[in-house]
Amino acid sequence: MALFSVSQTAFLLAFLSLRTYQSEGLSEPLPWAPESLKVSVNTTCQCLHLQWTVHNLAHHQEFRMVFQIEISRIKTSNVIWVENYTTTVKWNQVLHWSWESKLPLECAKHFIRMRSAVDAAKTPGPRVWSSWSSWEEADVQNSLGQDPLFIFPKDKLVEEGSNVTICYVSKSHQNNISCYLEGVRMQGEQLDPNVSVFNLNHVAFIRETGTNIYCKPGQGDGIKGTVLFVSKVLQEPKDFSCETQDFMTLNCTWDPGSDTGLLKQLSQSYTLFESFSGKKTLCKPKSWCLWQVAPESQDMYNFTLTAENYLRKRSVHLLFNLTHRVHPMAPFNILFKNVSATSATMTWKVHSIGKYYTLLCQVELYGEGKVTQHNVSVKVDGAHLFSGLEPDTEYLAQVRCANGDYFWKWSEWTHQNFTTAEAAPSEAPDVWRNVKTVQGRCVVTLFWKPLSKPQAHGKILFYNIVIEYLDRTSVSEVLSIPAPASGTELPLNQCSSQIRITASNSVGTSPASVLVVSREPGNEEVEEERVKGTEDGFPLSWNPQPRHVTGYLVEWCEQPRDPPCDLQWKNLGPNVTSTVVSSDAFRPGVRYNFRIYGISTERVPYLLARKTGYSQELAPSDNPQVVMTNLTSHSFTLSWKNYSTESQTSFIQGYHVYLKSKAGRCHSGSEKAVLSDDVVCCKYKIDNPEQKTFVVENLQPESFYEFLVTPYTSVGEGPHDAFAKVTTPDEYSPTLIRILLPTVFCILLIMITCYLKSQWMKEKCYPDIPDPYKSSVLSLIKSKENPHLTIMNIKDCVPDSIEVLNKQEGTRKSLTETESTKPTYLYLLPTEKRYSSPGPCICFENFTYNQAASDSASCGHVPVPPKAPPSQLGLLTSPENLLKALEKNYMNSLGEIPAGETSLNYVSQLASPMSGDMSNLPTNPPEPALCSEYKMQMAIPLGLASPPSSGSSSLSSITLLDEGEHYH
Amino acid sequence: MKVLAAGVVPLLLVLHWKHGAGTPLPITPVNATCATRHPCHSNLMNQIRNQLAQLNGSANALFILYYTAQGEPFPNNLDKLCGPNVTDFPPFHANGTEKTRLVELYRIIAYLGASLGNITRDQKVLNPNALSLHSKLNATADILRGLLSNVLCRLCNKYHVAHVDVAYGPDTSGKDVFQKKKLGCQLLGKYKQVIAVVAQAF
Repeated sequence: MALFSVSQTAFLLAFLSLRTYQSEGLSEPLPWAPESLKVSVNTTCQCLHLQWTVHNLAHHQEFRMVFQIEISRIKTSNVIWVENYTTTVKWNQVLHWSWESKLPLECAKHFIRMRSAVDAAKTPGPRVWSSWSSWEEADVQNSLGQDPLFIFPKDKLVEEGSNVTICYVSKSHQNNISCYLEGVRMQGEQLDPNVSVFNLNHVAFIRETGTNIYCKPGQGDGIKGTVLFVSKVLQEPKDFSCETQDFMTLNCTWDPGSDTGLLKQLSQSYTLFESFSGKKTLCKPKSWCLWQVAPESQDMYNFTLTAENYLRKRSVHLLFNLTHRVHPMAPFNILFKNVSATSATMTWKVHSIGKYYTLLCQVELYGEGKVTQHNVSVKVDGAHLFSGLEPDTEYLAQVRCANGDYFWKWSEWTHQNFTTAEAAPSEAPDVWRNVKTVQGRCVVTLFWKPLSKPQAHGKILFYNIVIEYLDRTSVSEVLSIPAPASGTELPLNQCSSQIRITASNSVGTSPASVLVVSREPGNEEVEEERVKGTEDGFPLSWNPQPRHVTGYLVEWCEQPRDPPCDLQWKNLGPNVTSTVVSSDAFRPGVRYNFRIYGISTERVPYLLARKTGYSQELAPSDNPQVVMTNLTSHSFTLSWKNYSTESQTSFIQGYHVYLKSKAGRCHSGSEKAVLSDDVVCCKYKIDNPEQKTFVVENLQPESFYEFLVTPYTSVGEGPHDAFAKVTTPDEYSPTLIRILLPTVFCILLIMITCYLKSQWMKEKCYPDIPDPYKSSVLSLIKSKENPHLTIMNIKDCVPDSIEVLNKQEGTRKSLTETESTKPTYLYLLPTEKRYSSPGPCICFENFTYNQAASDSASCGHVPVPPKAPPSQLGLLTSPENLLKALEKNYMNSLGEIPAGETSLNYVSQLASPMSGDMSNLPTNPPEPALCSEYKMQMAIPLGLASPPSSGSSSLSSITLLDEGEHYH
Repeated sequence: MKVLAAGVVPLLLVLHWKHGAGTPLPITPVNATCATRHPCHSNLMNQIRNQLAQLNGSANALFILYYTAQGEPFPNNLDKLCGPNVTDFPPFHANGTEKTRLVELYRIIAYLGASLGNITRDQKVLNPNALSLHSKLNATADILRGLLSNVLCRLCNKYHVAHVDVAYGPDTSGKDVFQKKKLGCQLLGKYKQVIAVVAQAF
């Protein structure tokens, strides 16, 4: 071998010497020049593939040679690529070399040539090249076809962010071809008259189905296009890790990153290779793979995970010891034993990972807001004792395990709940009382707060109360109040007593709270002080007590406005002289009262201080209801005595009285004030909140005023909403009233008297039927004017007469026609002597009858029974009686008198006879009389009345009225 | 004849399962025996008309679904990319005899069936998420299969024509993606145009 090397070196030196000689003298070509150069085109990968041979090599001769390759584009002088390809050349060997073009090979012609040289890098001096081979042409355009336009490359697959060159080849020699990428025009450069190229830099992933690129000529419809498939860059798998739970299988996981799957490319695949065993597996899932652990003991593993797609391949490596990658399974079968009020034992099981391995288990306990943690070494079964637990409390225990020899990962948690047993309450209930006297007997209302969960140690079932009377005269009382009561009212036999309160659950009883009720009321006369609330509460302080106290207590009501007071209290130590009382129930604008008690050594509370205040004062929302009194022409009085200063939203400091007047002048004691609506008025200020009356003075009579009373506080005054209105009276009105009122009273009295005596007045002044004898007027007339005038005696009047006449058949019809169904009233003056001698007569009109008569509007042919006695007629003065009587008698007469033969006819004493022959009347009484009306009776002067004819005694009436005189 | 697509071959095998399947079918001589696989429906022409009307009613929606799924530039360059310039599409003469029209219809349906098979295959790869387009393509292919069977029945029963020479469109399997999209669009544009005329003729 050494001999061969020496001979080869000697040969090369001899060859170089010869080559130098030849180049200097003969210039002959190198004997090992490349020959038979062939160029082929692969358009799929846009590659030029070269193959050539080197002749004149001896058999078994090998040289390391350098081949310089030149590639030109479009023309040979445009060299775009020069590369030296170094390889070892053997006898009769076909050499290959490929070059990938960035420009699609269809877009331009390419020319390739090469030359060779012996690789003599170890030897000094310039390299001796062979002569160039002839240019070989690679032209794909000739095979494109007859289409007028082509776009290249077709369906190219590139990675996101790479640079791509697109070109079009136009065979129609059109220059106005525009190309677009997803609708956006691309700017290119012309490579030759028919070819333009477009360089796309950092192409982006748009969609899995590819990106359309198309070109369209200015004329014609030959749109051509291609689809560019942009793939996401294949990422290196991240977080590659393998572990075992059972020494049987290894679970390897990783983060695959983004999917590079495309139409032209499947998603990346993953392959797992283990170098020690030489095994390889294709992982179907993209993010994990299972590897079977070899049955023989192989501790070390060297994995290579390879991700691969069409464009790229990436790998990651992992070397580990199997025992260092143990991830145990979660423990199971957790149980709790010996659970008491303060302790419990937890047991669990683990999945074995081999008898030579120890597991480290971590136990956590959650309860009462705390977490405790313990570590336990476990082979197969684990156990741990929890102590110092709270009674009647639910706990959560959980456990996880890891390889104790070499920690890799904890298992998943396994957890379980358990509850400790109950215990007797540990604290005495917090108790307070309210003492009152009802009918001379002490009544104590006890309040207690429910024990907190850590104090109760279980469910409280009863509160036990024991009352011991201090003077020992009464027997102690024992009460049991079921939970969840928080108080009770106890009437005491005697005030002086000691009350012990305990709480019981199912296990035992708590310590007792002791209260002493004393007959002494305590220092109730303590002056109330004001306290200002803050955001944190009410700061209260008091003076330390000279005598020994066991503590202090502050009590207050959280709902002081309503009857349910919701008494609250706070116990404080004996050395405390201040505290801050806070509560979520405190509301702005509500007045809270605090009472501070000192608790003596005998457990007797006595009042130390009283505080009152607001957590936040609010301006009054309402004004007092004001009553106005004593209104005079110059003043009035305002009063709001019902306004309570205690129940307001802030401390009332006083009142403002606003007075509006047209004059606008303010008198002393008031000041001008401008309200929010720019109205000027006078303001009176009352500094005393308990002064609830005010006299407004110096007013003008008959003037209009408006007034408002509003409280003012440190945070403002009440609303200026509704002013009350008042008008001062006239100055003289009171005097007038003093006169007018009695006068009106007297008039009213007279009127009432008149009304009550109206009957008497009527009879006196205007009777319905005047009694001439009682008429003073007539007597006056009689006495003064006409001594001869006298009152007509009724017996002097000519009475009406009723005649029974024979009715002719021929006239019956006409009579019936004139009859009225309406009853006609008849007035008959009572008379005892008919046809009496004439004399002076005065008759008064009877309006009642006259009205009835006029209503009839027809003749009053009323059938009247003949010869009605005067007494009977007298009863007929009433219309009803008259009608009844008439009907009755008429029926009787009809039964006695044949129809058509006789009828009753009324003849007025004043009606004029229709017939002039008066003598016929008495002689022919059955002759039916014609219609006659009832006329008003009149007073007829004696001088005007003609005496009745003695020869015609049957004349019943006569017309005596003079034309010039009428009497009504 | 170009190489048939994988989706076309099964279709043709089903339709022409008899001897000679897969080769162009010459028009049968009048006296040749003609047998159909199933007895023909009594109201065959009415069924054919209904199927044609059904195809005509859905052709435009299929066309729109297709070019929308291809993305730009197809929706905005329908005249240049989806124009009905399919040179080798079988002719149809609406004024011919019923027999002539049925024979021409047979050729058209065979052509469309093969082309639709190519389009369906391509679109499942090119637009795997365009499910409504896939559904519409499959539904149209189903109707075409039924129509082809009915036309063959009619030709066989009434006119004793058992074999008809048919031609198929270009196979797109070797073409680039853009060309596949364009050819499919052109075919569906042509289909929309032709089916309207054919449906009117029957």
